[in-house]
Amino acid sequence: MTVLFGTLGWRPQSLIPSIRSTEGLERVVVYHSDHAKSREARSKVVEFCRSLGVVATPVELSDAYDLMHIATRIREDVQREKATAGSVRFNIAGGTRLMSSAALLVCVLEGIPATYVHDETFVEIPLPLLRMTYGDHLTAKQREVLGFLVKNRDRAYTETGLAKALGVHKATMNHHLRELGSKGAIERVRDPDDARALRIRAAPGMELLVG
Amino acid sequence: MAKRTLVATFGFDERRVLPALRLLAYDDLVLLAGRDSLRAGGYGRLKALEPSLRAVLVDPFDFSDCYRKAASTLSNLARGVRAVRLSVTGGTKILSAAALLAAFQEGVEAWFCAPDPIRLPVLRGVRVVDGIPPSAVRVADALRGSMPADRLLASAADQGLTAREARAALGQLVARGLAEERLDAGRLVVRPTPALEALRAHLPASARKG
Repeated sequence: MTVLFGTLGWRPQSLIPSIRSTEGLERVVVYHSDHAKSREARSKVVEFCRSLGVVATPVELSDAYDLMHIATRIREDVQREKATAGSVRFNIAGGTRLMSSAALLVCVLEGIPATYVHDETFVEIPLPLLRMTYGDHLTAKQREVLGFLVKNRDRAYTETGLAKALGVHKATMNHHLRELGSKGAIERVRDPDDARALRIRAAPGMELLVG
Repeated sequence: MAKRTLVATFGFDERRVLPALRLLAYDDLVLLAGRDSLRAGGYGRLKALEPSLRAVLVDPFDFSDCYRKAASTLSNLARGVRAVRLSVTGGTKILSAAALLAAFQEGVEAWFCAPDPIRLPVLRGVRVVDGIPPSAVRVADALRGSMPADRLLASAADQGLTAREARAALGQLVARGLAEERLDAGRLVVRPTPALEALRAHLPASARKG
């Protein structure tokens, strides 16, 4: 069975072709804004789902312009469904630019199939995505280091401090940090209290990668 | 120090691009924009600010066209050992999403600046297709159109893969959504998915050596 996720703006037509084309559709999760026209579109989608005997779960986003908040919310829902549902797919066509981009971001990170619906022809276009978790481009140890830095954003670690905190040798930590640095996942900043020391922190946006 | 190129998606309003110009340091500016955008006042004002800016034309309502051109622009710039960054704040939603996908595809740092800067979690220099094993790339090369699985596996064997390796590689293509299998009159038939066709040109050439 398949769970279809979709972002929705003012036009139900941006989502309905995916509802029609999904085999073994069990449930539709619809993200929409609090705008009256978006709520109206949601009602039409829910009604369409009901007529097919498919459960629809609408999710109203409190801020349709907060990319990180939307992506975090969608990712949690997708991860939950991935763990239980047979398969998951996403239609990212509707909603604000930020809703759509947040959904695409989640699809890339989670490696789930995504489609776009053409504005005029309403033809579904499959997006060239790999079914592969994006975080797998990091090794388990790199993910652990990055996850630690994300979790402890409020603290500043030196390379030595980080090695100690994670129980690895300094040279091993240096290797992991060089790899993470070359991928732009971490930043080294001057310590304001000690001009010779460099502090390590996760680059902005990495919360989603290790979340 | 390598020259820094900023690639920005652009519609009609230069104010959607200006925050990125202010926040992300650059030496060269490249716009991804539709033909009509280049006739608009916003483009003229931007050109007055940055006379050397270059525009890459896209159809801003065609996802595939936007994706293809964004990916090749980013890939060509990155190949020139330039420090490349992308801002996906301007232009149509389709252009913005396609460029974002291309940034992940090519491992190019991507930002939203609307107006506060948000960095998206792209791993610099990591191309999504790099996660496809070399044996799977070779099988993908041999997979052209719909064909019986045994014929595909025989072609893969010609490229130096054992039958077992070729079968495993085909399984990886299917698992990653790059190939589809179906039974046709009791015979297993395989075909590439649209995702494979879109990504084919980006598959790592190094996998084909040896």
